[in-house]
Amino acid sequence: MNPYLLIVLLTSLGLGTALTLSSTHWLLAWLGLEVGTLAILPLMAQRHHPRATEAATKYFIVQATAAATLLFAAFNNAWLQGHSDIQHMSHPLFTSMITLALLLKLGLAPMHTWMPQVIQGVSLNTGLIVSTWQKIAPFILLLQIKQIHPPLLTIIGLASILIGGWGGLNQTQLRKILAYSSIAHLGWILLILQHSTALATYALLIYIFMTSATFITLKKCKATTINMLTTTWTKAPTITLVAPLMLLSLGGLPPLSGFAPKWFILQELTQLNFIPHASIAAMAALLSLSYYLRLSYSITLSLSPNNLPECLQWRVNYPISTPLSSALPAALALTLFLLPLTPSALTLII
Amino acid sequence: MTPIQMTFSTMFLLGLMGLTFHRTHLLSALLCLETLMLSLFLATSLWALQLSTINIACVPMLLLAFSACEASSGLALVVATAGTHGSDHMQNLNLLQC
Repeated sequence: MNPYLLIVLLTSLGLGTALTLSSTHWLLAWLGLEVGTLAILPLMAQRHHPRATEAATKYFIVQATAAATLLFAAFNNAWLQGHSDIQHMSHPLFTSMITLALLLKLGLAPMHTWMPQVIQGVSLNTGLIVSTWQKIAPFILLLQIKQIHPPLLTIIGLASILIGGWGGLNQTQLRKILAYSSIAHLGWILLILQHSTALATYALLIYIFMTSATFITLKKCKATTINMLTTTWTKAPTITLVAPLMLLSLGGLPPLSGFAPKWFILQELTQLNFIPHASIAAMAALLSLSYYLRLSYSITLSLSPNNLPECLQWRVNYPISTPLSSALPAALALTLFLLPLTPSALTLII
Repeated sequence: MTPIQMTFSTMFLLGLMGLTFHRTHLLSALLCLETLMLSLFLATSLWALQLSTINIACVPMLLLAFSACEASSGLALVVATAGTHGSDHMQNLNLLQC
């Protein structure tokens, strides 16, 4: 893509999220969300491939619908209430409508069907942006709304964790697996959102680090299906060493960083006496863990049956070094080694 | 609920239903999206007329500007879909099924 165009689009993406994050009026929040949606559409559709166009169309329709519903409920609430403040909404129906619109934007169950399709259709870099950066603005808006119906977020969170686990079990395409993992992680964040905003922010931050590391690793291996991951050991032995740890961090195993959000979420839920919620969430995390283990099995723990010329790469084809791949060491370090720093990180966020 | 509020709420809900229950063409889904935006424009214009503050009169114009940008990008996507898939029938958008 033309570098000037790329700079304009990426700046607009940042501008959109910054607008939403700095707004107290619903109109400005909607503006920021719209700017973000419009900025990412050319990035998605830049390859003239049917899958890319279809993904861009589905993303556009979903995000536009959610933004229009959000604005409708916000204006109705402002009409009835007298002011259009984000943090002081009081009408139960329109607060629930805004919450549902924001959850459609995030791609949580039962409004999740667009997410695997869109992330599958776009390139790995754009899928990274959709999975990480585009989640920040709706999440911040969700944090600020006073929830009138607490069971709504809890039910949707648990459903997302379950659907994210079950949906990813039958997939061989890596981008669809990462989309379902994103749904499951956002479900965990949603469970704790109304009880502790600091923990939800921390969980989102760790999720962004882990997902970025995974996408960048896949981009370096140029792999989009599980079969393509099996030859990583010939191309990049270091990635073969580190990738299972990264996937286990996504699964939430100690002593890696992914354990910290799950641990604190379960602890907070137990302290608030939500034992069935905590049990269902913990057991549904096993479903996600099974497909992370399948990926790490195919990368590291098995040698696919291949003939000798394929093992000895005489034509050296080092993984491509894109501008994004220089962020891989940082993302990997944050994914693997952040657990001992958790108490200080939490005090910074609280 | 006042008659005005009932009117534009009904308009919005009809457009939303048309958008979600789309049948054949992508372009009809975009038309329903425009209906949503038009109902919001009507709502904010009537609201600006009823309140005595002038400050709020900029809201319909901002809404219109951004919904025009959105509509144009939607139309560009329809053109791209017609180029890659051959038509804008919704049943042709089935390449990415799980």
